[in-house]
Amino acid sequence: MKKCVFLFASVLFFAVMALPAFTVTEVRITGWPGNDGENKGIDNMVTSFNATHPDIKVIWEPIANNYPDQIKTRLAGGTAADLMYIDVSIFEEFAKSGSLLPLDTYMKDFAWKDIPQPLVDGFTYNKRIYGVAKDFSTLGLYFNKAIFDKYKIAYPKDGITYTEFYKLLKILKDKGVTTPIVVNADFNRLIPFINAYGGKVVDDNLRSGFGDPNTIRAVEDYVNMVVRDKVGQTASSLGAGWEAEAFGKEQVAMIMSGPWCIGYLRDTFPNVFKTTGIVEMPKDKKQATMIYTVCWSVNKNTKNRAACIEVLKYLVTGGQEIFMKASGVLGSSLINAAKDTDPIKKAFYAGAKYGTPWRIPTPSGNFSKANDEINRGLTEALAGKLSVADFCKQVVAGYDQWIE
Amino acid sequence: MKKKYVEMLYGYLFVIPVIIGVLLFVIYPIFTGFYYSFTNYSPLDVSRNTVNANIQEEIEIQYNLDPSSTSLEEFTAGFDIVTFLDYGLLIDVSGVKKDILIRNFDYKLFYSDFAGNALNKTVNVADALKKYITKDSNKVFPSYKPGFKGFENYRKLLFKDDLFWLTIGNSFFYAIFVVLIQTLLAVILAISANGKKRGVAFFKTVFFIPSITSSAAICTIFMIIYNKSGVLNNVLGYFGVEPIEWLVNPDTALPAVMAMAIWTTAGYFMVTFLAGLQSIPAEMYESAEIDGANTLQCFTHITIPFLRPQIVYVVILGTIGCLQVFDQIYFLITNMKSATIAFYIYRTAFKYGDMGYASGMAVVLFVIIFTVTTLQRKFIKESVE
Repeated sequence: MKKCVFLFASVLFFAVMALPAFTVTEVRITGWPGNDGENKGIDNMVTSFNATHPDIKVIWEPIANNYPDQIKTRLAGGTAADLMYIDVSIFEEFAKSGSLLPLDTYMKDFAWKDIPQPLVDGFTYNKRIYGVAKDFSTLGLYFNKAIFDKYKIAYPKDGITYTEFYKLLKILKDKGVTTPIVVNADFNRLIPFINAYGGKVVDDNLRSGFGDPNTIRAVEDYVNMVVRDKVGQTASSLGAGWEAEAFGKEQVAMIMSGPWCIGYLRDTFPNVFKTTGIVEMPKDKKQATMIYTVCWSVNKNTKNRAACIEVLKYLVTGGQEIFMKASGVLGSSLINAAKDTDPIKKAFYAGAKYGTPWRIPTPSGNFSKANDEINRGLTEALAGKLSVADFCKQVVAGYDQWIE
Repeated sequence: MKKKYVEMLYGYLFVIPVIIGVLLFVIYPIFTGFYYSFTNYSPLDVSRNTVNANIQEEIEIQYNLDPSSTSLEEFTAGFDIVTFLDYGLLIDVSGVKKDILIRNFDYKLFYSDFAGNALNKTVNVADALKKYITKDSNKVFPSYKPGFKGFENYRKLLFKDDLFWLTIGNSFFYAIFVVLIQTLLAVILAISANGKKRGVAFFKTVFFIPSITSSAAICTIFMIIYNKSGVLNNVLGYFGVEPIEWLVNPDTALPAVMAMAIWTTAGYFMVTFLAGLQSIPAEMYESAEIDGANTLQCFTHITIPFLRPQIVYVVILGTIGCLQVFDQIYFLITNMKSATIAFYIYRTAFKYGDMGYASGMAVVLFVIIFTVTTLQRKFIKESVE
């Protein structure tokens, strides 16, 4: 009899213990942690969410390498996580294929106005929203005050025009700075020039805008910094791995780059970082910069939509604040951004208002091949092996085939 | 008679795991790849019509219709299955599928289940909805089939794609020089390692180490060597050579990678030649020496002919490997101008999202390698006559 009671009691005990385990919904989230800070930020976010939400358990499954390939094969095989990073540059391909959940339907009560419009637009496809930016970066103009002081040249200011900017480069060169700036052989770094000049990357029919006179003028000025005026060089031709390394080693006085350099400069070149100033990108007819951003999207085939939405809302509001603290990224939520008063990030936050997301719309949703081809031409143009006119003609002629 | 069959059965039972493995992971992918090369297969589209959702909840969210208080009239006025699937769940219902849905969807039955709370569970939407389509329900949610394009992929890559020919050219350039130099170098290394001098074992190990080191590690080291402020430019600087961006400059990028490849694989093939050298009878050299042959004559008339099988083996294997070279390009090359065909195939499949086109290129690469190998076997005789 006693035995029976004991058995019954223990069964009851285990049943009660097991009960919460059955009602907990698991939500798997995936992405590529760009650095240790970001990884830590997500860990902190997940821990804090799980501590306050007994009914949902978030599991962070980072993918270290080749994220887009991996996520594509996992989506095709039906094993992808419930929530995932999607980079704005490849967003169209994913949205077009119908792999992501349209969030405008499922997050009607979300405060979309708390996110800068360009960031919402970046993840909008066919008028529907498929992702919420987890953070963002824009381009700004870094300059080394020590070099400017040494040659007694006035610092660049917010609102500097491209004419003034080119003049500044020439002054630096004349006064003795061998290479005033790093010029990247990346199409996306050229786009702010094109947009500021009033040119077009693609026209209204989504065909190449490289025939537009303003675009050609922008490409010319960009390439001429290296080829004609010799005021700029690529990072690799300076023997540096990337622009921030060249800047840190004081090989150049300025770079055009994003907030991702801040942590690197602070840790690796603390002395240069102390004398670093950052202003907004120059302007011409318009002010323009590039917005690089990654969103959280919901896998359309998730079995737990409601839980996913709840996690997603947390990740881009309260969670984002925790994430920003550990990783130092720019908050996509205006509320979180307002709390970030680090003066060094001011120019980058300002770019969110007028920047263009790094995403080129195409009829097929694919831009990767065109990007490779344009970069191939741009590299040759910067090496002086291809004239700007021929480069632009080449893009116009090949473009339709590249985006098929 | 019977025993023979039993023995055969046992034999097959023993090898069946391997047969299944080969069929599943070699034969099947080869044939599907061939099939995909005639289509516009895109992996992301595969799961397009697989949607798991709670239909009742979806209707509540999207149409604000409550199952307990909505009448049939209100329901049919507010709800439309085509928009529901297309707009709400992103299921492809274009063309014929739309017509079938408009004609054959049983709203009455659907409504009664909706009102009766029968739809309040997470299900595969396509499977659950088949019940309500009175006719041709199989045609509405077909399982994914890539669109058939015939020879379109081949036509495009053979006649319209500059990059295809550029990368094929690069691959051949790579293969010809790497195979020639690495074979020659391997023979020389083998001969010098075959002697009985002191420290030979040490050098054998040193030559062999690169081929068992991971490609990623080697590439990282060479990235440092080839860097503009790297070791190579520093050394060349002593001789007054201007620093070169070895891996960025389109003229030097591929040769730089080739030099690395030769360095890596020469030691590996050296072992093959060493084995070959050891099988040459010593009497051959002795009698040649007595006949008054010098070292060079011994080399060209004894060593090379006897090493023929190994040379054929190394050349064929080397050519196949070089035409498919991928990892070193993937790690070191930044510009498509210096890329090889295998790298271009990879980018097309996974970055440009065009699996069908990439399959087409893979088939062409297969045909090229097959032809080259057949020609090699035809023109380089394996045995000494």
